[in-house]
Parts: sequence; structure tokens; C-alpha cells
Amino acid sequence: MDTLFVSIAVILAGGAAGLLFYRQFTLMKLVTIITTSAGCGIGLYFVLPKLLQGTTATVSYNWMHTLTLFFQLDSVSLFFLMPIFLIPPLTLVYSFHYLENREKRLRTGVNYFFFSILIASMAMVVMSANMITFLLAWELMSISSFFLVMYDYESSENRKAGYLYFIFAQGGAMLLFAAFALVHSHSGSFDFNSFAAIPEQAKLLIFILAFLGFGSKAGIFPLHIWLPKAHPAAPSHVSAIMSGVMIKMGIYGIFRMYLLLDPATPVIGQIVLVTGMVTGILGVVYALAKQDIKQLLAYSSVENIGIILIGLGIGMMGVSGQNQAMAFFGFAGAFLHVFNHSIFKSLLFMGAGSVLHKAKSKNIEELGGLMKRMPVTGRSFLVGSVAISGLPPFSGFIGEFLIYYGAFQGLTGEKLPFILTVLAIISLAVIGGMASACFTKVVGLAFLGEPRTEQADNASESGIAMGAVMSIMALSCLLIGVLPEPFVRLAFSGIQDITAVSSFNSDSFLLIVRHLSKTAMLFIAIFIAVSLFRKILYLKKEIGSGSTWGCGFTQPTVRMQYTGTSYAYEMVEFFKPFVPIKNAYTGVKKIFPGKTTWQSEVTDIAETGYQRYLTTPLLSFITKLKWIQHGHIQLYIGYIIVAIIVLLLFL
Amino acid sequence: MESVLAFCFAVAIAPLLPAVIQKTKAYFAGKQGPPLLINYYTMIKLFKKGSVYSTSTSFVFKLGPVVGFSTSLMMLLYFPMAEVAPIFSFHGDVLILFYLMGLGRFFTILAALDTASPFEGMGAAREAFFSTLAEMTIFAILILFFKLTGSLSFYEFFSGDQAIDLMGEYSALLILVVVGLYVVMLTENSRVPVDDPATHLELTMIHEAMILDHSGPDLALIEMGAWFKLLFYSGFLARLIDPFHAENVIVNGLLFYAVVTFIYISIGVVESITARYKMPQVPKFILTPFILVFFVIILSMGVMQ
Repeated sequence: MDTLFVSIAVILAGGAAGLLFYRQFTLMKLVTIITTSAGCGIGLYFVLPKLLQGTTATVSYNWMHTLTLFFQLDSVSLFFLMPIFLIPPLTLVYSFHYLENREKRLRTGVNYFFFSILIASMAMVVMSANMITFLLAWELMSISSFFLVMYDYESSENRKAGYLYFIFAQGGAMLLFAAFALVHSHSGSFDFNSFAAIPEQAKLLIFILAFLGFGSKAGIFPLHIWLPKAHPAAPSHVSAIMSGVMIKMGIYGIFRMYLLLDPATPVIGQIVLVTGMVTGILGVVYALAKQDIKQLLAYSSVENIGIILIGLGIGMMGVSGQNQAMAFFGFAGAFLHVFNHSIFKSLLFMGAGSVLHKAKSKNIEELGGLMKRMPVTGRSFLVGSVAISGLPPFSGFIGEFLIYYGAFQGLTGEKLPFILTVLAIISLAVIGGMASACFTKVVGLAFLGEPRTEQADNASESGIAMGAVMSIMALSCLLIGVLPEPFVRLAFSGIQDITAVSSFNSDSFLLIVRHLSKTAMLFIAIFIAVSLFRKILYLKKEIGSGSTWGCGFTQPTVRMQYTGTSYAYEMVEFFKPFVPIKNAYTGVKKIFPGKTTWQSEVTDIAETGYQRYLTTPLLSFITKLKWIQHGHIQLYIGYIIVAIIVLLLFL
Repeated sequence: MESVLAFCFAVAIAPLLPAVIQKTKAYFAGKQGPPLLINYYTMIKLFKKGSVYSTSTSFVFKLGPVVGFSTSLMMLLYFPMAEVAPIFSFHGDVLILFYLMGLGRFFTILAALDTASPFEGMGAAREAFFSTLAEMTIFAILILFFKLTGSLSFYEFFSGDQAIDLMGEYSALLILVVVGLYVVMLTENSRVPVDDPATHLELTMIHEAMILDHSGPDLALIEMGAWFKLLFYSGFLARLIDPFHAENVIVNGLLFYAVVTFIYISIGVVESITARYKMPQVPKFILTPFILVFFVIILSMGVMQ
């Protein structure tokens, strides 16, 4: 376990180097990136063998003589450490060419500093084994990521996004404090191991509090609204790590809480499953409705959190229904999807960043034709899109297959579990179909067709560091899809310490995984054969080129291409009550009509809901209390004294 | 060996059967119709031709037909055509195969969007929407079949002790599934009343609008992919309703293809006597079988206990 602390120390040293050497811009970037990546490398070198062997470790430190910092590693922690150490080095290398503005030297250094704190704190979150350590690491994680989001603080839009994130991070943390305090009031201990002993009827409330607290980090519906604001505001390598890795800490929290409480009630699994379905479907519909690539990707993260929660919910229902196969594959599928999503979502955010850098826009209605202008970004984005849509032979399919498989095992259940399982399978199918619609939209409109603006027309390929990282990630998406067995085993070893499923024998399933791999290879073989066949057919043939067939219309312009709004309109309208569309049309007047405009906007129902029922009443109430704040320091001291006296006398 | 022969036969006969639909439609219209071998001629003609590519397109445009064709071919490799065991089969193959079909659709849509044509974009949007809705029915059917047979493979659905059989225990339930699958078949293969492959206006098409710009061998690959897909769906349906099971493999195969031909004729009849729905009505039409199959699932809870 000491190796792990060494790795954290090296990571932090890398961050500190960013602050120290900020005057030498390139040197600073090189030193920081290499040191931090080395730290992650050390961590990975420690984690991987431990995970495969299935060893656990504990260590505790005394801190300030009153509180104990207690760390523990089991297979779940080890599994979540994988993406924490794997993705940051890649995003850091990407950032070498992404953060190119020399004038923002100091800011870049500060960015690297908080980046390293974020990595270290995430590692500590999954390692901690008592409330104090956990909350300390959790807050460090929230605060460091807040500063990362605020990179471009000049724009008021970005500042607002940062504040919104801060509110959600701290509001969530407040719920966590409440949940932990409830546990402490029952058990009188800070130790995580004391959770299981508290009375059964208290567990449900504690879980719900923690679920909402962690859910605001993970982005469950309707606590997701910070994601589509913060991600467009943050630099792309930060979005990549936040969406790819950090929001998974929320998932880790939910799952850890579940394991610690070890509740007997089936309600918890059902809550998680239903939340997962709602989050998944609404997430993908909103993703489809958005035209800003980064916003769209943020909503797609919400969707994927939904898929992961469906997996966890299936697993929990399997545990409470004593269906080991269902529990095993539900958990394993969720874990594998956590891992896969961390890869392809980071890849897609980096692709979006590369587009933003070169084509100067993240609105797909202003892009187009980038596949020819940015071949590396385009191709890797295409691979990422196929993978995130859960299509074989890429990585996303494997995780979803495990979840499907677990859900199908659950069809033997009684009434309510049965209906929920059926709905879970249907929702996964709907999410899959909508996700492919969503990502065909991004790829098809942003990367294919004709450029819609001059900037998009003049775009060129990004720096080599960015291209290389994206290519590596795209290749790994394909690798996991074609040779899934080692990765499925990895997910299996991730759940080996969960007592409810530890005795399950998964050998027969590994046979299916091998079949999946064979099918993927067969498909690729057929694909190559057909491509060759096609090549042969085109040998010595006349290949012409001309403009696209306009169905008789001979003067096409790039403005006539299908827009993202129209592409998604019918699908979004289908979910109308949950996804309100606002259209504004000036109409055609007079005999010779002049200029007319049509505008369509989709507003997030959660956001308008908060505005109407929470912030507006709260604001009007607080305005009435304004007189308390008058700026007289002596009276403020008086408030403090009165408050202490009241607390001393009455509590 | 038998499996390979059955597969080759299916591939060979796939272009012939759609001509049956054309013949049926011609009969209803009082015309003579094209010869039965028309699709083979078309294929040869297209293979001989070159292509014209739009300057807007990239490599994705050329990828579309290849991926679409390959995924359709995969379906035939894993499906027990003519009641012969397929070449490949494993527990769970239905999931990867329906998702592979999704991959084919993904690239067909991308190829359509690559042309920068508004018509193809429109077709692509509709295809993406309607196929998602159809997927709900497909997965509902898979849930039901898993409940009835405990398996997740095309081959296992129709073999073993608990094979799905219209004459068997759950025939009342299966009738609704047959209706559902029939609608899915019409949807997924762009037939009337969801899509009209023979309409005169690009605006009203779905699938045909998406492939407007493909020509020559690329178009041939797309057409062949479509024929395989139609054969797969009607084969699936035929396995459900086929009441005859002979001992002899060849007789059995002939009976099977007789049922398949019957399904093709029925498609022709449907196309002759109905018009395409208005676009806003299509989702309702596609969702109807989902409700039916979902109802069957609920019913199966009672039956299975």
C-alpha cells in the first residue's frame, strides 16, 4: 500500500512542478506531464496485480492527534483506481498541445496543480475507509475540480457554470454529511465497518440521503444540471477527466454505501434501477436535443450514468432476490461500463476539444466536413461514437451485454422485480437506439457533409500529442470490443470481494465471452472480405465525381444541409412532456414576405423546475431577510455570541 | 455441411424472393410485372457499372454499403434457415446480432449524412427514429422468448424441449407475437405502410432517400444487404408460424421456403391494398406491436407459474 502513497506523492509533486516552473512554459508542461504520468504509472503498476490476485490491504494514520485517517483497499476500490490512474496521463499528454497559450502561463501551471490534486483526491476517495478520510478526500476532489472548471473565468457564462457546479458539489456533500451523521448517531463510530450494524429501518433513509448526495456528483436525473453547464465551460482535457473519471466517484459512493449498509430491503435496488432508467432515457433524449457538442456529451454522460445505475440496480435486485447470476452480471456489467465509459467519453471530449480548437466552434450547426480536414480527430471520434452507442465490435457493447445478460437472468422473478427487469431491458434497448441516433447526428453533421461556416472550412488537424492520444484510445475501444475476455475478467475481479456474489462460478459465461469475441472477429473478417470484393469490382472502372444529387435542384448551398435540430426534432418531440421544446416563429406576412426567423430551443425540465419551485421562492424569502446583513462588524460578533449561548443552553 | 449448404441456398435465393412481391403487386395492378429473376439481372448490371461519388463525401460514404451488407450477412450466418442448424450459434447471439444490425444502420445513416443532401438527412432522421421504436418490440419479443425457452440464441429458440412452436402450449400468446414481428419486419425493411420503396417523391421516402447517391457496385451491396435482411425477418416469422415439420431435411427446407414465399406474397398484398401512413402516424403504428408483445409478457407471468 505504501507504493500507492508514493504514487500519490509523485502525482502531487508533478502538480507542484507546474506552479514552480510556470515561467518556462514548455519545460513546465513537460515536467508536469511526465512526473504526474509517472505517478499514475506507479499507481497502475501497484493496482493491476493486486486486483487480479484479489488481495486487500489496510493502513491507518493518526492525524492531528484526534482523527484517524484510515485507508483500506478491496477489489472494488482497486477496480475504481484503474480509470483514476489510466485516464489522467492520457489527458495530460493531450493537454500538451491543447494548452498552447503562452500568455496564460501561470493559469496553465495552476490548472496542472489542481489537476494533480484532483487525481490524488479521487484516489484517496476510493481508498478511504472511515468517514473523516472519505469526506476530506471528497471535498478536496470537489474543490479542485471547481477550480479546474473555472479555467476561463473571464466569461461570466463560465463563472456561472462554475458556481452552479460548486452549489451542486457542496449541496451533495451536505447530504453526505447528513447521511454520515445519521450513521454516527446510531453506531457512535466513524469507521465504515460500523455501517452494517445499524438498525435496518434507519438504513433506507441513510441510503436515500447518500444516494442523492452521490447522485449530484454522478449526475442522476434531476441532479444533473451542472454537467451540461460545467463541461462546456471547462477546458476539454478537464471535461474528459471529469466526465470520464470524476463522476464515477459518485457511482463508487453509491455502490460503497450499498455494500457497507448491506441492506435487506429490496426497495433500494428498485430505487436505483428506476433512477437509472429515468436518467438513462432522459439523458439521451436531452443529448439528442442539444447542438453544442460538449453539452451533448455531458448529457450523454448522464445517459451512461443511467446505464451504469441500471446495471447496479439489476445487481442489487439480484442480491435481494437471491438470484446470484443476476447480481453477478449486473454488478460486473456496471463495473465494465464504468471502465469503458471512462475511455470513450474522454476520447469524445478530447475530440470535441480538438474541434473547438481548430474549427472555433462547438455548435454542430456551424461545423461540417471536418472528416476530410481533421482526419485523425474525425476517425477517432467516429470510433468513440460507435463505442458509446454500444455497438459491436467496440467496447461499449461488452458492458451493455453483461448488463443485458444479468437482466435476462432476472426474468424469473416475482411480480414487481419481473416488471422492473422487463422495463430495464426495454430501456436499455431504447437508450441504445437513441444513443446511435444522437451520435450519428454529431458525426454526421459535424464531421461529414460540407462545412457550414468559413471557420469550419479552414480547420486543420490538431497537434500530434492530441492526435496520438485520441488514436490510442480509439484503438483500445476496438481492442476491448474484439478481445473482451481479459477486460471482462478484470470486471469480475473487481466484484470478487462482494460477499453476495463471491461464490458465483462464471466459467460458463467466459465461454460466451469467447463466442462474442469470435463473432466480432468473424464480422471484421467478413467486413474486410467484402471491402476487398468491392475493391475488385471497382478495378478498371470509371469513377466519376460530381455534386450530390439534389433531386432535380441544381443550385445547392451548404446552408441547405439537414440541421441537427431537424434531425432530432421528431425523436425529441416524442418525449414532449418531459422534454419541452420552445419554438418561436415570426411567420410569413404580406404578399411579398420579408425576412422571417424560426427558432427552436429545448429547455431542461429539471432546470426550469428548480427555477420555479426552488430558487425563485428561496430568493424572494432571502431578500426579505436582507436587513440582517448590514455591515456592522460589532453586531455580527453579537450574532455569534448569541448563537453560541443558544446552542450551549438548549442543546 | 448441411448448415453451410442451407446458408448458401439462403444467400442464393434471397434476391429471387423480393421479385415475388413485385409479381404480386403487378398482379393486383393488372400488369404482367418483371421477370422473377429481375433482381439477379439488376445485380449483374450494377456490378458491371462504375460509380459517381459526390465531392462532398468522405470515406464514410463508401463504408456504409460495406458495413450494411456485412451485418445483414451475419444475420444469415447465425439464423437457422430452413430449420437447419446455423453455421454459428451460441447463448446470447441474438443480442450481438441485433446490435450488429444497429451498426449497419449507424453507418447507413452516416453515409446518408455524408452527402450533405437535405433529402438524405431527412431519410436518415426517420430511419434512426423508427428503428429505435422497432427495437423496443424486438427486445420485448426476446424477453418473451427467453421466458418461454430460457435461451438467448436463434437456434435454441426453435430447438430442444421448450422450442417455440405455434402449435405448442403458448400458441394463443404467440399469435400476438406473430403480428408484432410482422409489423417489425415491415418497419425494418422499409415496406408499406411505414415506407414506400416505390414512391415518386424523395421527400416521402425513408430508406430509398438515404441511398439516393449510391450507384454501381455500392448500390448492389446495399440492395443485397436489404434482401438478406428481409429474408432473415421473414425466416424468423416463418419459423414461428411454420406448422409442418418433416423428417427429411430437403422436404423440410422446401416447406420452410414455401412459408417464406407465402410471407413475401402477403407483403405484396399489403403493399397493394394499403397506402403509406402519414409520417406522424408511423410511430403509432410501430408502437402498436410493442404494446401487444408487452401485454403478452404480462400474460406469460400468469401462464408460467
